[in-house]
This record gives sequence, C-alpha cells and structure tokens, in this order.
Amino acid sequence: MSGQRVDAKVVMLGKECVGKTSLVERYVHNRFLIGPYQNTIGAAFVAKPIQVEDKVITLGIWDTAGSERYEAMSRMYYRGAKAAIVCYDLTDCWSFARAKFWVTELQKSEEQCRIYLCGTKGDLIEGNRSLRKVDYHDAQDYADEYCSHLHFLLLSDSDNNISENVCICIFKKISHIQYSILLAHCAAKEKGVDLAQKKSSYFYCCHH
Amino acid sequence: MAADVHNKKVAWETQNGSLAPVGKLRAERSDSPTPGLVEGTEPGAGQDDAMFVHTRSFEDLTADGEEGEDTDPSGPASGLGTPLGDREQPEAEPVGPEEEQAPEAPAGGRAEEEDVTSEAWRGRRKHVFVLSEAGKPIYSRYGTEEALSSTMGVMMALVSFVEAGKNVIRSIHADGYKVVFLRKSPLVLVGVAHTRQSERELTRELLYIYYQIVSLLTLTQLNHIFQRKQNYDLRRLLAGSEHLTDNLLKLLDRDPGLLLCAVSCLPLPSSTRDVISSSLQAAKSKSLVFSILLAGNQLVTLVRKKDQYLHHMDLHLLFNLVGSSSSFREGEGWTPICLPKFNTAGFFHAHISYLEPASDLCLILVSTDREDFFNLSDCKQRFLERLRRRSAYPALQEATRSPSYPVSQVGIPELRHFVYKSKSSGLYTSPELPAPYQTEEEQERLMGLYQYLHSRVHHTTRPLRSIYHCGERENLLAWVTSGFELYLCFSPLGTKAQAVMAINKLLKWIRKEEDRLFILSPQTY
Repeated sequence: MSGQRVDAKVVMLGKECVGKTSLVERYVHNRFLIGPYQNTIGAAFVAKPIQVEDKVITLGIWDTAGSERYEAMSRMYYRGAKAAIVCYDLTDCWSFARAKFWVTELQKSEEQCRIYLCGTKGDLIEGNRSLRKVDYHDAQDYADEYCSHLHFLLLSDSDNNISENVCICIFKKISHIQYSILLAHCAAKEKGVDLAQKKSSYFYCCHH
Repeated sequence: MAADVHNKKVAWETQNGSLAPVGKLRAERSDSPTPGLVEGTEPGAGQDDAMFVHTRSFEDLTADGEEGEDTDPSGPASGLGTPLGDREQPEAEPVGPEEEQAPEAPAGGRAEEEDVTSEAWRGRRKHVFVLSEAGKPIYSRYGTEEALSSTMGVMMALVSFVEAGKNVIRSIHADGYKVVFLRKSPLVLVGVAHTRQSERELTRELLYIYYQIVSLLTLTQLNHIFQRKQNYDLRRLLAGSEHLTDNLLKLLDRDPGLLLCAVSCLPLPSSTRDVISSSLQAAKSKSLVFSILLAGNQLVTLVRKKDQYLHHMDLHLLFNLVGSSSSFREGEGWTPICLPKFNTAGFFHAHISYLEPASDLCLILVSTDREDFFNLSDCKQRFLERLRRRSAYPALQEATRSPSYPVSQVGIPELRHFVYKSKSSGLYTSPELPAPYQTEEEQERLMGLYQYLHSRVHHTTRPLRSIYHCGERENLLAWVTSGFELYLCFSPLGTKAQAVMAINKLLKWIRKEEDRLFILSPQTY
C-alpha cells in the first residue's frame, strides 16, 4: 500500500492498549484522548505535513490496531514503511513479548525500515515502581543484541510539567519535541540521506 | 388488564395480495386516498429498485436461524461470487507461539465488571452468553467470562445432553424466565431473559450477536480456528470488540430498525439528497461496492454497485461499528469487515471517515480490494469537492441539526409516537420520542410493547393483520399490509375508533412527506 501524497510512511505497531493511538493523537493533534479506552478498529491513517529544513514533507502515519484479530492485515501497513514505532507498555511484560514479535517480523520483511522501540506509560511506574513489569536491562539487552544493525529508541519520557493524574490508559506525554525530531529524522532520511548506510548505528536510551 | 382485539381480515385490505401492474399504480401514487396497500406503491416505496436485499420482516432471519447452517454460501452474493478479490485465507496463524500463555484479562474497555453472584447480576433483564462448543466462555453481557466458566459449562452440558438424544434444545421456560439456545457451529449462544419477548425474538437477537462475531472474523476463519484447536480461547481474537457487542445489544433493546429489519433516513429535501447521491455516484472506483453516508444512526444515502444488494442486517452491523467506536474520528479508518448476510467467507475492506472532525456525518466506502485505501481516500475527496461545488453541504449540515421531527407535525392530537416501515424499500420513519418516553427505561418499555405487537402480528402459526392493544399507560395499534407495517402509540384516553381514523390521516401525511423522509430514487454506480 503506497500513497502518492505521502513522502514517508510511518507505522505504529504493538499490542493493544499500549498507547499507540494516544501517541499519534498527541503528535498530530497535540491532544490527549480522555474517556474510556477505545480500541482502534483496523487501522487509522493520518497524513501529517512537517517542515524539514526548507521543505514540507508529508508523513503518512498508520496507526494499526493491536488486536491479534488484525494481525494478518498488519503486514500491508508496514510494507514499504520508512519507520516503525514499536510500542510496549512498561507495566505489561506480555506487551514486550509482542513488541519483540513485531521487531522480528519487520527485520524479516522490511530491511529498509528503521525500528524504534518505544516503552510507554512511564508515568505509571514513576509513582509505583512495583508496577514495572518490563525490566530496564531486559529491554536494553534486547536492544544491544540488535543494535549492531538496527536502530532502537527507547522512549518513556518523563516530563514533570504534566500532572500525574492521567487516565490509566493515557501514558505520559512523550516529549513533543523529541518525537518530532524522531519523525523528522526518518523523513530527512527519506529525503536523501543514504538509508542503506547502516554502520553509523546509534542507540538512544531514555529508558529509566 | 390488556385487551387485544384483532381482525383476521380487514375490509379495506386488498383481497388480492399479488402485485397489481406496478407502473400503473405508480402513476397514481400521489392521488390514492389510502395509498400503499400493495407492495411497491406504499408511501416511501422506492421508484426504481430497492436498495436492499428484499426481506419480509424477520421471517427470513428466523428461518435462517432455524435451518441451522446456511447451505448456500453464495446466497444473495452469487452475482459477485468469486471475483471478490479477497477470498484468500487470512494468512494469520491465529494460534501463535504464545498459545500457552494464560488468557489475558479483556483489555480496558468496560469500566466495572459485576459480581456474578450478586442479586443485581441475577436481576438483569436480559443476559447473553456466547461459548464455544468446548464450553469455553467467549462473551457475557454482564460480569467477566472467567467467573462464569462453570455456568457456561452447564449450558454446554445441557446442549450436548439433548443432542446426544438426537434432538435439539431450543428453549427452557421457567419462573418467568426464557432461556433460549442458538446453536451456530462452532459457537453456541444463550439468551436468558425475563421480558415479554417471544422465543423467536430472542433467537433473532442471538443471531444478530452471532453475525456480529462473524463480521469481525468471517465464518471461514472461525471454523478454521476451531477445527485446528477445539478448546481455543476465542476471546484472544475478539479482544476489544466487547463494546461492539454490548452496544449492539443496547440497540436491539432500543432501535426499532433492528426489530423491523429496516433503516431510517435523515429527513432531507429530496433535491439535496439527489445531489448527495449523484456526487457519491460520481466518486466511484473500480473496487467500490457500496458507498454509504450516515448521519448518526440514520442513513443519508446509499449508492451501490449494480446488481449488488446490501442486507439490512449488514447495514445495522456497519451502523453499530461506526456508532460504538470513536476510533474513526482519529483519522481515516481502514478495516477489514465481513458482511455476513452478503458472504460469510470473505472480508470487504471499509474506508470509514467522518466528513469533518466534529460532524456526525460519516462516510463508509466498502471495497473488495484491501490495497485500495488511497483510491478510496481520493473518492472521498472527490465527493467532498463535488458536494461543496454544488453547495449541497450547508443544506446537509442544516439537516443534521434536526435529525428528527416532532409527532405534532402530523396533526393527530392523541398520537404520541409511530413507526412506519415501507416494505418494498426497507426504510422506516419514526418521529422523535415525546415526553413520557424520553428516559431509557421508558424508551425500552415502549420498544418492548412494539416488540410484543410485532411478535403477535408475525406469529408463526397465527399471524395477524392488525392488533389493538389497550394498556394502562398507552394504547397501541399495529397494522400490517403487504406494502407496509405500521405501529402507533396513542394516549390511554383515546378510543379504538379514533385510532383507526388516525391511520388514514397518518398515511396521507407520510405520502405528502415521503420525498423528505425516504430515499425514493436509490442510485447505483
């Protein structure tokens, strides 16, 4: 599935209820979703134009449903994607297993796709460390194992400016700027930087 | 005490039930004083072709339920048969490497789960349970499925015990409760109700729930899963869909459309509707089968591929999908969906999006090609441009601000509410609910009365043409001809003679307003 009006395709992957839609809402509309959790049905597409240097680039963001029911369909969403943001919930170890599943899938079929591993709901474990189910070292080891040839970004940004009384399914605000940079980065890559140049791999970690 | 007076034969009913020369009748449609006694000429009847698969109310649904398995999978879809590109088996391996994982708790979703041992839980009007043939819980309307696994085990034991004797359990009636079983392999559905609904009505509701599940997975996949692993926990695949089923059950209690197998239209000047229809018609694409524009739970227009008909049930499932999820407000939705009355074997792919972020107007483009998202997205843009160019959009927005009309417009003082269905078009109209019926309980009580009349009128062995029902708080009249079904609700002080008089007046009013209330000229691509 390739769109004419989209310069770079970005796909959100991960188990249901980890906060993919919230991330996209936050990034695209700069708003939090309030109210009860609503699962995404199928996938939702949003086109987001961004300014990179002097050019306007349109990101086509595919926010996929996490339910296993739609797993067969997910392949068409990540086909040809320039970047994939694979999310897991820090308070849910099963979601990390699903994230690994998606990373493996992407590595198998989309060599050109940059993968960003993203831990969410950092604010929940901030108040209560015992809620944490995905160990920092597990995530790091997993990332290390692959970082020789892949790009990982572990996000679970804590921003103390935001009040903590957020709904359980809305994770902490991912720093808006950082997220823009991240997305702008993949767009810039699309624009001309050699994408095949994989040696200069980097590994960001803002995981607690 | 309720008293029922029913006439087996109504003097003013055409004796000859067959279709008179339709063209001739149509020419006279607006002159006829008691229009619509014959199918195809009633107020609201479409001029050309019906938009929907023709259904005679719920007979064909219940017949379907009683037959057991659909023998002919092509059904009404035979025209499109195999060319539907997307028949391939879903490539997912539903039973992944993680299959030994303990079942997860249903993700988020329903706020508080009830204690299944409490009196409040027992006292619920209507329970619905879905289980697999291995007796594994799949869905419960109230309470968590885990807590009910032994109860569901008992249900399955009952089903199997009767089946062992080469028989089928349909229902149990005891202590004011009806326990209704619907066996649709590989699922078993059980309804427990203490309402006035008949067993058939309850079976029909269970059938809706069954189709809701099929619409998410397809029957092919469902069979495939349970053939591979009989004790598969289907909740894994249905995760997140509980609120769709919850909402559908709510609609079944409140929406006359599901009872009558009909759809209501947004009242709209016919010139505006024509512009919208032709704009949708022009924004076509090769893979497009249906273009549907909704305003809340009302239909604005529907354009279909030639020779392809949508079934009401499928349309209601689409309504339910859109109405119970905010997911489509986020961006342009793209989802596989099976329309079970069209074909239980394959997925369509639906492009679902609101015309504007805060608007109630939602466009559903149903396609056969899962790669066609951007084409359909273009179709939507073309549709919107055309709509704006022909300045129909403001009129449409204006109409969505008053999606209904007060019953006082009809000018019958005793009349409180009515539901009128045109059989040939499969559309119905109904005014907004007046004062005593605005709370949820009262709304459901009125619907309960309509359901009761409906089941009396459509009784399997003793069907009725009309029935007058005197209650404590209102009087009701139902009248069914080969052209329409009419249910009226009057103040309790009215008389039967007044009620009968009201019918003619109401039919004349509907005839006068039919341009606005119905879709008279459905379009195809």
